[in-house]
Amino acid sequence: MTNQYQKLVNTGLTKKIAKQLGLPRPAVLRRHAAGAPLVPGPVVVLGDGASAQPTADLLLGWGLDVLRHLPPGRMVGAVVVAYDDVARPGDLADVALNLGPAVKSLVPGGRVVSISRPAGDGKDPELAAARQGVDGLMRSLGRELRGGATANGLLLAEGVDMGAPSAQAALRFLLSGRSAYVDGQFLEVSDGRGKLPEDWEKPLAGKVAVVTGAARGIGASIAATLARDGATVVAVDVPAAGSALARVANDVRGTALQLDVTRADAGHLIIEHATQRHGRLDIVVHNAGITRDKLLANMDEGRWKSVIAVNTESQLRMNQAFLAAGLPGLRVVSLASTSGIAGNRGQTNYAASKGGVMGMVRASSAAFADIDGGINAVAPGFIETEMTARVPVATRAVARMVMPSLMQGGLPVDVAEAISFLASDAAAGVNGETLRVCGQSLIGR
Amino acid sequence: MATSTSSAASPSQASQGVRPVVVIGGNRIPFARSNGAYADASNQDMLTAALDGLVARFGLQGQRIGAVAAGAVLKHSRDFNLVRESVLGTALDPTTPAYDVQMACATGMEAIGSLANKIKLGQLDSAIGGGVDTTSDAPIAVSEGLRRVLLELARARTPKQRLAALSKFRPKDLAPHAPGTGEPRTGLSMGEHQALTTAAWGVSREAQDELALKSHHNLAAAYERNFFDDLITEYRGVGRDNNLRPSTTLEKLGSLKPAFGRDLGDKATMTAGNSTPLTDGASSVLLGSEEFARANDLPMLANFVDFEAASVDFVRGKEGLLMAPAYAVPRLLARQGLTLQDFDFYEIHEAFAGTVLSTLAAWEDEDFCRNKLGLDAPLGSIDRSKLNVAGSSLAAGHPFAATGGRIVATLAKLLHEKGSGRGLISVCAAGGQGVVAVLEAR
Amino acid sequence: MSGTAERRCIDLPEVPALGGIYAAAVKKTAASRIGGVLPGGGRRRGADDDGRWQLPAVEHRVRRLRVDTGRLTRYQRLMGDTVREDLPSVFVHGLAFPVAMSVMVDDGFPLPLLGMVHLSNRVEHLRRIRPGEELSVRAWAEDLRPHFAGAQVDVVAEVGAGGEAVWRGVSTYLAKGVDLPGRTRPERPEKPVFTAPTRTGQWRLAADTGRAYAGVLGDWNPIHLTSLSARALGMKRHIAHGMYLAGRALAGAAPREGGYEWGIEFASPVFLPGTVDFSVADAEGGADPYGTVAFTGWRRGASREHFSGYVAPR
Repeated sequence: MTNQYQKLVNTGLTKKIAKQLGLPRPAVLRRHAAGAPLVPGPVVVLGDGASAQPTADLLLGWGLDVLRHLPPGRMVGAVVVAYDDVARPGDLADVALNLGPAVKSLVPGGRVVSISRPAGDGKDPELAAARQGVDGLMRSLGRELRGGATANGLLLAEGVDMGAPSAQAALRFLLSGRSAYVDGQFLEVSDGRGKLPEDWEKPLAGKVAVVTGAARGIGASIAATLARDGATVVAVDVPAAGSALARVANDVRGTALQLDVTRADAGHLIIEHATQRHGRLDIVVHNAGITRDKLLANMDEGRWKSVIAVNTESQLRMNQAFLAAGLPGLRVVSLASTSGIAGNRGQTNYAASKGGVMGMVRASSAAFADIDGGINAVAPGFIETEMTARVPVATRAVARMVMPSLMQGGLPVDVAEAISFLASDAAAGVNGETLRVCGQSLIGR
Repeated sequence: MATSTSSAASPSQASQGVRPVVVIGGNRIPFARSNGAYADASNQDMLTAALDGLVARFGLQGQRIGAVAAGAVLKHSRDFNLVRESVLGTALDPTTPAYDVQMACATGMEAIGSLANKIKLGQLDSAIGGGVDTTSDAPIAVSEGLRRVLLELARARTPKQRLAALSKFRPKDLAPHAPGTGEPRTGLSMGEHQALTTAAWGVSREAQDELALKSHHNLAAAYERNFFDDLITEYRGVGRDNNLRPSTTLEKLGSLKPAFGRDLGDKATMTAGNSTPLTDGASSVLLGSEEFARANDLPMLANFVDFEAASVDFVRGKEGLLMAPAYAVPRLLARQGLTLQDFDFYEIHEAFAGTVLSTLAAWEDEDFCRNKLGLDAPLGSIDRSKLNVAGSSLAAGHPFAATGGRIVATLAKLLHEKGSGRGLISVCAAGGQGVVAVLEAR
Repeated sequence: MSGTAERRCIDLPEVPALGGIYAAAVKKTAASRIGGVLPGGGRRRGADDDGRWQLPAVEHRVRRLRVDTGRLTRYQRLMGDTVREDLPSVFVHGLAFPVAMSVMVDDGFPLPLLGMVHLSNRVEHLRRIRPGEELSVRAWAEDLRPHFAGAQVDVVAEVGAGGEAVWRGVSTYLAKGVDLPGRTRPERPEKPVFTAPTRTGQWRLAADTGRAYAGVLGDWNPIHLTSLSARALGMKRHIAHGMYLAGRALAGAAPREGGYEWGIEFASPVFLPGTVDFSVADAEGGADPYGTVAFTGWRRGASREHFSGYVAPR
C-alpha cells in the first residue's frame, strides 16, 4: 500500500530530483518481517540508571550486539536510554548530550527508546520535573529523527523493573519493526504481571482471538496479524459484509461470525461461538467502528447516535458480558483514534465515541485485572484504508505527509502490530493504556 | 429415532446398524431475482461463494471433506465438472472429491440425502451438499440445425464433405435456443401444469395469495430476528433475498393478473405474486457423523433421518406435474412409523402457492388417499402455523437446485432452536418428481 | 379386408418419389379445373359403361424395402421421440404412403388426389419392427362409399416382414362434393359439442412444421408446405400433416413393448404456425399404465377440436 509519491521520492532518478527540490521524502518504514533481525545493527545502551545493565543483559540474551558507548565511525541500529534514575532536571544533560552523536549514527529505521518512570502526582517537584523532562525530550527527538527512525519511551511504574515480563516485551516491541508507525509515544508498564512467549514469532500461540469489524481495512489486517502471531481468529462483522468477512476468515484459517455488535446479545454470542467452536476466548479486539462525519452545526440525531452506539456503547455492553462470564485472562484491545485525543473538524460524534473508548479502557482496567486480564486501546492516526480513501485527496495528502513526523500515513498492519502486542500475555503488565499509532502526528498531546 | 412399524418398507436405520448423520450447518448466498444483481455471476462463481462462506463459518480451510455433491439444473456444457471446479476455487483442501448431481428442483435434496446415506454407512465422515442455479447466466445453445451442421463439419474429412455439410446450413439456424422451464414431453411450462392441478383441487386465489403473503412476512420476520445471520453470506452487495417484499399486502397481491392457466378463464388463479420468480443463487449444507462434529467442535443442529423420492405420470395426465411429494410423504411416514401430524415444522417448497395448497388438500382428501395413495384413511391436515415458518420460495425465490440446501439448513436451525421435535421437508421437481425428508432436532 | 386373389398386382420397382406424384397430380388438377368436370377437381375416371364408380381391382406392391436409419433418426428427432432401434408406427406409415399414393394416382382411381380430405386412420402395429428388417409393402383401395359431404374411400397399406404382416393401416379420405352414382349421401350426423379435456401438453408448431415433416417422410403435398402453395390449392393457409399430429401423439402414448392398435380422426385442420393443446389420458376406466389411452388435440384456448384418437396395446 506504499503510495505512489513515496515510491517516486525514494527510488532512482526521481529520488535525486526530489532531493534537489527539497521535497519531503517519507521513508520506507522498517516493518516486521519474518526472519529479519530484531534491530538492524548494534544497540547502544546509554545512561547509568538501574535499568541500564539489566537491559544490556536482556538485549544480549536476545542475541543483539550491545554496546555501552557509541563506537566511533559505526552505524547503530538502536539506542536505549536508561533515564529511570533521574532525580533532577540537571540529570538529563549527560546522556542527552551523548545521545546526539548516537542519533547521527542511527541507521534508517533505527530506534531510540528511553526507559524512565512516570512523573506521577504528589511527587517531589524536582523528581517530577526530571521525569517529565524525559517526555519532552523524547517527543522532540522523534520529530528530529529521519529515515523512518522513531523515538519512544518505556515508562516503568514504581516497583517495576526490567525484570518485569511486560517491560521486556514492550522494549522488544519498541525496538522491533512491529512498532514502525509508533513514534513519540510512551508506553507504561504498571505491574510485574505477564508471561514471555516461548517463541517470539508466535507470541499468541494457542490463543483464541475475536476481532470485530474484521471484514475490511484495519480489522482484516488485525485478523491476519493475530493469526500470523499464532492465534486462532474469529472474524466478526455485520452480515452485510459477509463475503469480505468470509474471505478474511478463510485467509487466516479462522471462523467467520456474522454479527451486528450493537445487538444486545453480541457479547454472549461471541463467547458462545469462541468457546463452543474453539474451546476458549483469550483476546477480543473491539475494532468495529463507523464514521458519520458532519460539522456539529449540521449534525443529526441518526449520525450522532449510530456512531456512539457502534463505537462506544457496543464495546461497553460486550465488555460487561465478558466480565460477567469471567473469562480467565481475557485481554481486550479497543480501537480509539487520535481524533478522540486531539479532536478533528467534522468528527464531534466520532471523537466523542473514541474519547469514550479511552475513558472506558482506563476505567475498566481494574475489573479486567480482577480476572487476570487487561484492557488497552490503540489510537490510530492517519491510516491508509478504504475508509480514509474516502477523505478528499488534498486533506489526505496533508494528513499523510505534513502532520506526522514520519511524513506518511500508516498502514493497517501498523495498528495491527500494536494490537497484537497488547493482546499478548507478555503485555499483561500494561493495562488501561492507550497507545497511539500515528507516526507522531502533529495533532494531540 | 422412531422405530419402524410393520408397514414400513425397510427396517429403520438403527436396526441396520447405520450411524446417525447430523446437519452441522449451512450457508447460502442471498437469492437474487433473475437478470439483476447476479447477472454476471456464473453457476461456478455462486457455488464457490456459497462454499467459501460455509468454509469460513465452520473453519474448514484446508480440510479434506469426504465429498461435495451439488448440481445445477441449467448448466453450461463447459460446467461438466461444475462442483469439482467450484471446490478447487474454494479454501477447502484441493484433494476434496466432488461430483455433480442433477434431479431438477430436487437436485439439492437428492445430493444432501445421498451424502447423508454415505455418512450413515460410514463411507464418509463429512460431506457438503447443495446446489446452484442461474437463469441470468443461462446456457444458450445454437439451434439443432446449426449444431448438426457444425458437428458434421467437424467430422468431414474432404472438401466435398465439408461443402456437403455446409450446404445443410439454413439462415434460420442462426437463431439461438435459450432453455425454458417447459416440460420436454408436454411442452407446457411448470406454471401451466400447476395451473391445471390448482384448478383441479379447487384452490382459491385468496388462499394462494394468503400463503404468498405469509411467506413474505415469515421471511421478513426471520431476517428481523437475525435468524439468517449464520445461514447466509452476503454476495455482490446483496445481503438479503431481493425478491422479499416485507410490506406486500393481500390487496397488492390481489391486484395482480393471472400469469398461468389463463385459458381456464375464471379458474385462473396463479399470478406472479403467488408463483416463484426466476432467481439466481447457491446453497450448501455441511453434514457429518457425530464423531466428525465432536472432533471438530462443530454444532449438531439436527439429524438427517431419512428421505424418499417419488414420481408421477404427468405425461399421460395421471397426476399433476408437481404432486410427487404427495406420494413420497406417506411412504416415508410409513417407513419411519410416523403420522403427518408428528412434526413440529413443515417445509413445503413453494414452487407455487398452488403446489403447497394442492398437496395439503390431497392429504386431506379421502378419495385421493384411498385410491391414489392406497391408504385406509386420509393423512389429514397439518397445523398451518408450523408451515414454512421462516418463509419459503415465494418470498426467498427459487434458484432450482439451490432450494434443497436452503430448506435443509433452515429447518435444521429451526429444530435446533426449538431443541426438540421433527421437521418434514417436501420438494417438488420438474419431470413429475419430488423428494421429501425427515429431520430430527438435536 | 378383401383377399389379394381378386386384385391384379402391380409391382413397382422401387418406392415411388412423392414429389413426382404431386407434380403430376397438380398438373392433372389444373387440367381438370380448366375442364371443370367435377367440383372436387380431377377428371372422371374409372367409370364403367353404366356410369357407376368402381375402384380398380389392383394392388401396388414394393417387394423389397430397406429402412434408411438416418431417416429414422431424423423422424424420431422431429417427433421428440427417443432415437432407438424400433420403427414408430407413423414412420412405417410414411414408408408405405408412396405406395398408397401410387394407388390413388393410378389412372383407374376414380377420385381426384388433390383436394381430398384426410379423415382418419386406423392402424394395427402387429409387432415391433426393427430397422434392419427387409420389408415389403402392398396397398390398395377399398370400400368406396358415400359420406355426408361427398365420397369416402379407404386406402389400405400392409407392411410385411419375413412373410408375415407386421403393420396394417387404413387411411380414410374424403372427396368433397363427389356424388357416387346410385348412392345417396347419409345425413350429416349431429356434431357433439366439444368440451376440452384436461390439458396434459401443448405443441407450438412453427410455420415450417410441414416442410420439416415432408423433408423426412417425403410427403410434399403443397397444402402443408407454405402459405402460398396452400393458397394456390384454395386453402386459407398451409396446415400440419395429419400424420405429423398422429406421430406427435404416438411419441408420448405408444407402448414401448409389443404390438398395438391405434386410430386417429381429424376434425379440423391445424393451420401453421399454430399452437395445439393436447391431452392424453387413460381411456374410460383404464388404470393399467399400458392400457388403452385416449388422446385429443384442440386449438389452444378454444373449443375447436383438431383430432382425437386412441392407442390400445395388443
